[in-house]
Amino acid sequence: MSVNLSVTLAGIKMKNPVMPASGTFGNGREFSEFFDVGRLGAIVAKTVTLKPREGNMPPRVCETTSGMLNSIGLQNEGLGYFLKHDLPYMRKFKIPIIVNIAGNTLEEYAQICRDLRGVEGVSAIELNISCPNIKAGGIAFGASSKLAEQVTAASRYNTDLPLIVKLTPNVYNISKIARAVVSAGADAVSLINTLVGMSIDIKTFKPQLANYTGGLSGPAIKPVAVRMVWEVAQTVDVPIIGIGGIMTAEDAIEFFLAGATAIAVGTANFVNPKAMVEIIEGIERFLSERGFTDVRQLIGKVRV
Amino acid sequence: MFQAKADVISKKEISPGVFSITLISPEISRNAKPGQFVHVLCGVQNDKFLLRRPFSIHRVVPGRAFEILFQVVGSGTKELSKVKIHDALDVIGPLGTSFTYSPDIKSALLLAGGLGVAPLLFLAEELTENHVMFYAMLGAQTKTKLLRYIDFKRLAKKTFAATEDGSFGHEGTVVALLNRTVHRLRPQVIYAVGPGKMLQKVAETADDFGIDCQVSIEAKMACGVGACLGCTCLTRQGFKLTCKDGPIFNARDIMWGESEVEQLSLDGYKYEAAEITDSD
Ligand SMILES: Cc1cc2nc3c(=O)[nH]c(=O)nc-3n(C[C@H](O)[C@H](O)[C@H](O)COP(=O)(O)OP(=O)(O)OC[C@H]3O[C@@H](n4cnc5c(N)ncnc54)[C@H](O)[C@@H]3O)c2cc1C
Ligand SMILES: Cc1cc2nc3c(=O)[nH]c(=O)nc-3n(C[C@H](O)[C@H](O)[C@H](O)COP(=O)(O)O)c2cc1C
Repeated sequence: MSVNLSVTLAGIKMKNPVMPASGTFGNGREFSEFFDVGRLGAIVAKTVTLKPREGNMPPRVCETTSGMLNSIGLQNEGLGYFLKHDLPYMRKFKIPIIVNIAGNTLEEYAQICRDLRGVEGVSAIELNISCPNIKAGGIAFGASSKLAEQVTAASRYNTDLPLIVKLTPNVYNISKIARAVVSAGADAVSLINTLVGMSIDIKTFKPQLANYTGGLSGPAIKPVAVRMVWEVAQTVDVPIIGIGGIMTAEDAIEFFLAGATAIAVGTANFVNPKAMVEIIEGIERFLSERGFTDVRQLIGKVRV
Repeated sequence: MFQAKADVISKKEISPGVFSITLISPEISRNAKPGQFVHVLCGVQNDKFLLRRPFSIHRVVPGRAFEILFQVVGSGTKELSKVKIHDALDVIGPLGTSFTYSPDIKSALLLAGGLGVAPLLFLAEELTENHVMFYAMLGAQTKTKLLRYIDFKRLAKKTFAATEDGSFGHEGTVVALLNRTVHRLRPQVIYAVGPGKMLQKVAETADDFGIDCQVSIEAKMACGVGACLGCTCLTRQGFKLTCKDGPIFNARDIMWGESEVEQLSLDGYKYEAAEITDSD
């Protein structure tokens, strides 16, 4: 029996609900040596900012129990370079392209949205709102429902593309933030970004990361992510992209049951470059073994 | 680069805590160049830790297998030391840049501190095959930690050894030995692998004498293939990726001490006693 894996998310038609999490897949070049990237449901670009960013000082990564910390610092070549060199490359995969963007001010988000207008091959914009708002004294856009709403509204005003807002888990009440961004025009939300963490080398007494703190990702954060997806699914009506510690198809299915329409895979790509293909195949197997015909039959079906 | 399930065909503890493992992978061995590395899931059941571990390619059996040489320093290498013959390890490689030389070079010096012999033996074999004359200089704390001396002695025009306790070869560090002999050996290029502090000193000597110097840099990495931008190394041209733009760099390009690379060493960290200050 054949099963349907395709989903539509904020108007984006995907042949399956699996995509990479921004920043963990480059723009597909490296991974295309390991598998056919065209098999994915969509490709999500690494966060792009208006101007090039050098990123943080090394060390930038360290392994932790069932996870890792990173403080890459949004290193990227800037929007101009992205449009000229990366996007044309990504178009070759012939799958929807989601461009993840970030700014230090509302104007920067607005500007990038304007610059992406009419650009061939962009299927959606994902707002990374984990960055600090310089004008608001460095508090992350995503940490305040007011700022999150403003940045979504400013982006919404400047683009007709589907708008996905990627939520940070470093907040007390994620549902409140989700409600705020949806009221400001988000077509979908993705969650979670990394949890702020710290690790100290007891031989040198120094933090493991030059930046002292970094974002925790990997299996360690999965229960937090599932809980947040579940909470947000109760709160808003827009589709959810579930992210956080997904290593296997079984992990992905938990997210569907919690209410995600699609999922994104991050850290697992580093452990197994073919992780996403194996997850797609695993979801298909799970569905047919259990007698389901459509992945959508799982969405939000947790029995509570 | 390839992802392979590579069968272990041999495993030896060549010195206490130092293991060599040979793995079957026609793709990786056929494409490997000296200086490149493999990214290994250390263990058959990988549930104790998450990420892969990078190891230099130590030697190849052309078209068939390759060998890694590693020291047990933490959880990953400990797990790796427990693999058995016929276990299959998930390996990605060959990764990163390799040592380079022009075909007409007359003499080279291969300088290893501790585990630094790992990529240099592969280079020694290639130089020998291409009839490039080279010297080898190996350093270790003590005789038992001096690795692959016999192998280098077989291949190099002359092999020098230095042990810090004087139990074999010259007494003192390999850097001191280099500084005493470099004006006589007059190599055109130095290939150095070892702890960051050692590399920095070798680079200074090479610079003083106007000798080209290539080094293998270490940094903590996640993906190993150039996607995550985690393993940055600070160079005169800005941030570079150790996994993709390296691990072999021109020593002159490295901003020694500016980045943290010098802290990561094959010998692990030296314990730095914290200063105890009275606070009232
Ligand atoms: C390009 C390259 C080639 C290398 N070649 C060799 C080799 O041939 N033989 C050998 O014995 N060692 C080599 N190393 C070092 C080796 O990767 C580390 O010793 C190993 O990762 C330690 O893992 P662990 O789990 O035992 O230690 P832990 O300290 O428990 O590791 C914790 C984390 O830190 C990372 N880490 C720890 N030390 C290092 C280090 N020195 N460099 C990079 N990451 C580190 C680990 O990968 C892991 O993610 C190489 C490193 C690099 C970057
Ligand atoms: C090395 C690394 C780089 C990342 N870079 C970005 C980024 O540029 N933009 C972004 O929105 N999220 C970034 N993330 C967060 C991931 O997209 C994802 O939300 C998070 O890692 C949780 O998923 P995981 O547990 O599957 O990795 C990064 C994560 C890692 C580990």
